[in-house]
Amino acid sequence: MSEKKNTLCEESYFSEFYIKNVQSATNFAYYKSGDADAALDLVQEAFAKIWENCSQIDFLKVKTYLFTTINNLFLNTIKHQKVVMAFAKETPYQDKTNQNPEYILEEEEFKIKLQNAIASLSEAQREVFLMNRIDGKKYREIADLLGITQKAVEKRMSAALKILKEQIENI
Amino acid sequence: MSYPYNEELMKKEKEILKWLEGTLSDKETEDLKQSEDFDTIEKIAHYATHIATPKVDAQQALAALKNRKLSKKEPKVRSLYYNNFFKVAAIFIVALTAAYFLFYNTTQSFTTGIAQTKSFYLPDHSQVLLNASSKITFSEKDWNKQRDLTLEGEAYFKVQKGKTFSVKTVDGIVKVLGTHFDVKQRSNYYEVSCFEGLVSVTYKNKTVKLPPGKTFRVINNQIEKTDDFIAQNPSWLQNESSFSRIPLNQVIAELERQYDIKVETKDIDTSKLFTGSFTHNNQKIALEAITIPLQLSYQIKGKTVIFYKYEVQ
Repeated sequence: MSEKKNTLCEESYFSEFYIKNVQSATNFAYYKSGDADAALDLVQEAFAKIWENCSQIDFLKVKTYLFTTINNLFLNTIKHQKVVMAFAKETPYQDKTNQNPEYILEEEEFKIKLQNAIASLSEAQREVFLMNRIDGKKYREIADLLGITQKAVEKRMSAALKILKEQIENI
Repeated sequence: MSYPYNEELMKKEKEILKWLEGTLSDKETEDLKQSEDFDTIEKIAHYATHIATPKVDAQQALAALKNRKLSKKEPKVRSLYYNNFFKVAAIFIVALTAAYFLFYNTTQSFTTGIAQTKSFYLPDHSQVLLNASSKITFSEKDWNKQRDLTLEGEAYFKVQKGKTFSVKTVDGIVKVLGTHFDVKQRSNYYEVSCFEGLVSVTYKNKTVKLPPGKTFRVINNQIEKTDDFIAQNPSWLQNESSFSRIPLNQVIAELERQYDIKVETKDIDTSKLFTGSFTHNNQKIALEAITIPLQLSYQIKGKTVIFYKYEVQ
């Protein structure tokens, strides 16, 4: 079993793995903490762990290892707080051609409501929902990364959507 | 009337999930867009994608990481943390010297205390990884004639091919030729797991052959049914103890070996079965990993931890 070449210990392979995954890992940490600096710190720490333990980690599971390590580090180090995330400066409106000021105002109001509603999601719901929305990940992939079943991911998605919709329509 | 309505609702929910994932067909998407109150959902889905996330300069971040001068852990001692390694090594030398003067012969023994693990090689280069609170004794002189050793506690063996290799415990004997396997012998507990090759276990005059992925387990003198496993190593090599349907008292005993604590239980059935695992690196998380699934709470008083039933207020 230890005869198998563990390519993770090779610097070039590790670097490639790092470059490929650092952005989505940081996003994930950000969905949890809502703090960009803390997110990158967590991610660096997790990659350092992978490098240190490269000979022990099955490289087929290294992505899962990365995400679960981030999760554990997050639970150990960061106090839970309200996570409010801002929108990108240039957010295209849904109807790109509509320049009507009334429409624009309405959409801006909607965005504020959505921002508050996302902050009210549980950490588990928020991360799943945003991994799908922002990173465009399929449910199967999210399930693998978090070490949960695809059913569980779908349940969190539905629950998240339900809460967002209720919050937005009630406010 | 409510039944078909619910079904309809569930179907719609499924379609929305597929649509969010981008796996709904064009035709179905058209129908979905016509449906009532889909407008809000569409807006949520649209605007959520525009939340800003921190942009990482991957090359720069990688350079920063490399600047930390990280060290890879050597495979030979991979189950030990470096800072523990020197402690272990010191104890090791003392134990060796003591053994030499006490017995003045070639009987070797290796011992670990609470929360320690130890890795060493036998004279034939077979490797032994010793878990916490365990002891191994063997005769160095006779090793080439007879590969016999005595174990109290838990150890993982990577045996070089050769003559029969036996591990004796008070509960049973394990015989192999050249394989990887784990033996755990604790109070009222005996378990052998085979990770590679074939292992033969003798328990009370009965012999069982274990292929890889199989476990032989005796708890309170009862042979237990066990599930197959697919792990390539015992979890404790990764600083984690895993359990599959194991009585709580055995889980607690393992916890006491991995952390320097004493666990007391209050009005709890400790024969309750536990499935799960706990880490060896963080006492708080380990305690939660055991108590939460069993709906228990705990209280720490110095080195004593009390488990009690969680009362809903």
